[in-house]
Amino acid sequence: MENIVTLRHGDGGKYTNLLINEIFYKNFDNNLLLNSLDASVFEVAQGKLAFTTDSYVVKPLFFSGGDIGKLAVCGTINDLATAGAKPLYLSCGVIIEEGFDMGLLEKIAQSMGEICRKTGVKIITGDTKVVEKGFVDGLFINTSGIGVVQGGYNPKPIQEGDQIIITGGIAEHGTTIATQRYQIEVVGNIKSDCMPLNNIVEQLEKYMGSIKLMKDPTRGGLGTALNEIVEVAGRGVCLLEDAIPITREVKAMNELLGLDPLYLACEGRMIITVENKKSQEVLAEIKKCQGCEDAAIIGKVTSDVARPIVLLETGIGGKRIIQPLEGVMIPRIC
Amino acid sequence: MGMNMGFEKHLINEINSLVTEDIKIMEVCGTHTQIIAKLGLRSVLSSRVKFLSGPGCPVCVTDESYIDLAIQLLNTYDIAIATFGDLMRVRGTKGCLLDEKARGKDVRILYSPLDLIEMADRNRKKKFVFLGVGFETTAPIIALTIKTAAQRGIKNLFFLTSVKLMPPILHYIFGQPNNEIRGLICPGHVATVKGSNYFQFIGTDYGIPAAVCGFEARDILIGIHYLVKKIVQNEKQSYENLYKRCVRAEGNPIANQLIDEVFQTSNGEWRGIGRVENSSLTINENYAAFNAMEVFALKIIFKQNGISCECKDILLGNKTPKECKLFGLICNPVNPYGPCMVSTEGSCAIAYRYREEI
Repeated sequence: MENIVTLRHGDGGKYTNLLINEIFYKNFDNNLLLNSLDASVFEVAQGKLAFTTDSYVVKPLFFSGGDIGKLAVCGTINDLATAGAKPLYLSCGVIIEEGFDMGLLEKIAQSMGEICRKTGVKIITGDTKVVEKGFVDGLFINTSGIGVVQGGYNPKPIQEGDQIIITGGIAEHGTTIATQRYQIEVVGNIKSDCMPLNNIVEQLEKYMGSIKLMKDPTRGGLGTALNEIVEVAGRGVCLLEDAIPITREVKAMNELLGLDPLYLACEGRMIITVENKKSQEVLAEIKKCQGCEDAAIIGKVTSDVARPIVLLETGIGGKRIIQPLEGVMIPRIC
Repeated sequence: MGMNMGFEKHLINEINSLVTEDIKIMEVCGTHTQIIAKLGLRSVLSSRVKFLSGPGCPVCVTDESYIDLAIQLLNTYDIAIATFGDLMRVRGTKGCLLDEKARGKDVRILYSPLDLIEMADRNRKKKFVFLGVGFETTAPIIALTIKTAAQRGIKNLFFLTSVKLMPPILHYIFGQPNNEIRGLICPGHVATVKGSNYFQFIGTDYGIPAAVCGFEARDILIGIHYLVKKIVQNEKQSYENLYKRCVRAEGNPIANQLIDEVFQTSNGEWRGIGRVENSSLTINENYAAFNAMEVFALKIIFKQNGISCECKDILLGNKTPKECKLFGLICNPVNPYGPCMVSTEGSCAIAYRYREEI
């Protein structure tokens, strides 16, 4: 195998097959993929399916805590999980710039395979294209995913007193990307929170009747995601600034870079709105999941229906409105 | 849960019981503007305490003629422009650098000016022009970059600077006969460089209490408390360094040495305000070979009142962002019209972000 990807790897012939076999089939290894021709065929269960798609253009391709491959698989798994679905199958489309390092491509495919094995999700169809130098920046990935919605979960109208849980520290992915983009050498442990969240939904299976809404705060961060919730629900939310989990490193880096962590992406966190009386139990269950030790109740749904806004109470008792993000803070974070 | 904010809450109560009439307090540092909004201070302090944001954000005070010069350079010579991100979206009289970049011009965003040295060193055949803006705070790092370029014999790197000085513009503001500012929160970062007595003249020359403040909730509240107390007690010449953990009497001697070595004092153009005497630092003759103004024989074409927004009166403390007729309508962070809306530390951008009153 050559050590860089060339245009002939995308011509659909012998070299394309070689690339697919040696890089993708090897790492995605499953029978549905290996036995498929132009489309994969699978059985479906009774009930509701969830279907989602996302494209990944993150820069840099490799960052502390993950890479574009891990992000592409986790991102689509997480979109399915927030719909209360058990993720089953993924597609994977890759567009590669001519001259891309074959070893790096293999690493990316390995990360994707690793998350698939960990979560039991299978990549069962895919596509590879190679374009001339300068037409993509290294490599872009698209993944689509199908999952089966688990019994018991329906998004429900939120009500006054419902509690808002975040499953871990905020802004870790966005801060990591910003730090690496600015090539700031940081001593400390700033890394992306990128991880699959389907285990949280499984852990919470018996509480699905009490869970009102789930949402992952990716682009636009916690601040924007909560504004979307408020807009749909027509009810206000009040957060306690001091209750929002954020590591000291992330906080310090944001101060240094002049960024606001409320608007920086998470790639392994979920906002869960739950009825008040079950909120402590749900929080305790979430904390049992790996990577969710810092989960916390960060606020509650208010009676404010006339003007549904996200309000934040600061440490000194001041209040301010959290507006949705306008404009881009850092481009190409996912 | 959370930190114990008992002392801060005590200060808030004290301030509120002291004020019996409207008190306008100005701050001239974007970081102060931002922290006041972020803490939600207006929602806990008496509405009689009014905050005005002066000319403290480097992007906001950058004149249109400066952006025009950068665009003129791009269109005349085969050069690359390097700058910090915020400056990309500031409009000159004919558009902004981001538009030029979209048209295929070589415009690069940097985070540290020292990265410039490496960039210029690696591409010795390419000419780079760095746009360096700021105040006494950014002057030392720009000076260090120029000095380093000279030491390393780099001949393809030039600097188009717009570095401003605080005292002249404060003289301008407080010299306005009708100004209603009763107290000044002095910029802690500038004082860190220039020394604790740098703003003493506010009290002695204009009879307006002033205090150097830091940037935590406690710092800003101690500062407001001090000013309100002095205003109420009519001790008008009061001045205090309340940021002693960073600000020394002598400032930062190394930084000042760099400033003195590379720069000289000149007249400066302030966005919307115009020319203010001795209010800018320009590259001195020893480093003329790095001065883009000289190397490319540039001339500032200064146009009074080029745009119709109220940035001038906002910067001078005569108006609040919401009193500008363009605020939030034509002018917003996605399509900034005036410079105060561009930078994340601009007073209009901050007022917009935290725009609704609680």
